[in-house]
Amino acid sequence: MTPRDLVIRTLEFDSPPRVPRQMWLLPWAQLHYPRQAEDIQRRFPDDLVSSPGFWAQPLRATGDRHRRGISVDEWGCTFENIQDGVIGEVKDPVLADWSRLADLRVPVERLTVEVERVNDFCRDTDRFVISAVCPRIFERLQFLRGTENLLCDLLDRPSELTELIGIIHDFHLREFSLWAGTDVDALYIMDDWGAQRSMLISPALWREVFRPLYADYIAIAHNAGKYMFMHSDGYITDIIGDLIELGLNAINSQIFCMGVEELGQRFAGQITFWGELDRQQLLPHGTSDEIIAAASRMKDSLHRDGGLIAQCEFGAGANPDNVRTFFEFWDQPSES
Amino acid sequence: MEFEKSLFEAITTGNKDQAQRITEEAIADGVDPEKLVNNCMIPAMDDVGNRFEQGELFLPELLIAARAMKTSMALLRPLLAKSGARPAGRVVIGTVMGDQHDIGKNLVASLLEGGGFEVIDLGFDVSPQKFVDAVRENSPEVVGMSALLTTTMPAMKSVIQELAQAGIRDSARVMIGGAPVTQRYADEIGADGYADNANSAVTLARSFISRTP
Repeated sequence: MTPRDLVIRTLEFDSPPRVPRQMWLLPWAQLHYPRQAEDIQRRFPDDLVSSPGFWAQPLRATGDRHRRGISVDEWGCTFENIQDGVIGEVKDPVLADWSRLADLRVPVERLTVEVERVNDFCRDTDRFVISAVCPRIFERLQFLRGTENLLCDLLDRPSELTELIGIIHDFHLREFSLWAGTDVDALYIMDDWGAQRSMLISPALWREVFRPLYADYIAIAHNAGKYMFMHSDGYITDIIGDLIELGLNAINSQIFCMGVEELGQRFAGQITFWGELDRQQLLPHGTSDEIIAAASRMKDSLHRDGGLIAQCEFGAGANPDNVRTFFEFWDQPSES
Repeated sequence: MEFEKSLFEAITTGNKDQAQRITEEAIADGVDPEKLVNNCMIPAMDDVGNRFEQGELFLPELLIAARAMKTSMALLRPLLAKSGARPAGRVVIGTVMGDQHDIGKNLVASLLEGGGFEVIDLGFDVSPQKFVDAVRENSPEVVGMSALLTTTMPAMKSVIQELAQAGIRDSARVMIGGAPVTQRYADEIGADGYADNANSAVTLARSFISRTP
């Protein structure tokens, strides 16, 4: 059985012979623990990979966003970074003043994907391939407008906000449709919707403004026969039911800040939990026994003849021994 | 009383234009600004903060309420200064060195202001020395520190150590917060308190003030 088949059987709750795995290796870990990261990757190769972008035209971005200093992304958002290995913050959003909205340029270079190269990539791997495209409309709005401005806008509802959402969403639809025409196995969206103990915005507001946009993305994926994956940081229990209704196949989230057992009771068997092991306490500070206990909780609570991908982030502050212990736990045949 | 009731409503619903109009009318009518703050504005922000903590309101509602409160406060501040009114307390606040995430810290600062505190906001990536200097310069009752990354949390301990080395650790209570921060960590580094959300930070700061001789 190939890793691709393994992931598909997981998504279909079709009793995969083992739980698929994936380590998210962040630049911080590559900088601080290159040898350990390489060792973990060699011993526990990912079952899921992301396709490269394969853009024919280079993106109009400058600087390295994972290095200290200034970088500008393809939408013209300037990131200031004071720590190597993590992504910086937008401190001076380009649309803090709406008067510049008319000047906003969408990154059309992202629409120059060389489809044949993507398809070659998919053909040349036996792993499950996720698209390089990743709409993040809430975050993009924050990068462009500034977080506090945006959160106020969502209640004030200036006409410019509607226009901006329309511009970003239309672009994402074009980009998503393009990737839906490739041979990737899944399309991918992300947005950090949660704070530590609650949603950043009310579930009602999310349903009114953002759920319809997500419905569009998921429809494109499913109409093209693709699975749909999503990432969100923070507490998002309140919208997981919505995402299941929309047909989302896999969610990467901070399950330990929401309560693994509660998630299992409410949602196991309806959606695949794509990790993640707690990166706030366990990965940096946990003992080996605590890592094993946490992985056991994930398996007991979330695995139902599939529906679970063993994923953790090897990022800022993580103890490499804990990352290794986590993947050792899953390196065994599934009992169910 | 009528002004207080309508301003309370304007702040809790985040209507800054209404808050401005009512405050201007109250000033023109000769209403005591200190009473307006204590009987209306602080209770309004407390109400919003409590509903946020209970999961009834979310960040956008909190932010527009704070914005309405600040609009009123900007009109009242000169009058308060003239009358010699004192703030509920003084707080020096910042996101620690190496960390540039300041949304949570900004929210805490807004709610503290809404709670009647004078806030000296040092911004983000604040060095221990800058905290020490700010404490020396402003003599706050409370120092608030925020960190979002597990890798920057140790800077909180450095600040506490430097305050101690400077001989001013006992001059202010230290409270900490941020996504990866816990009560256990606060205990471990010798902080005086931990708040897991913006509203509880205000409650904690108030508890410090009431215990300050």
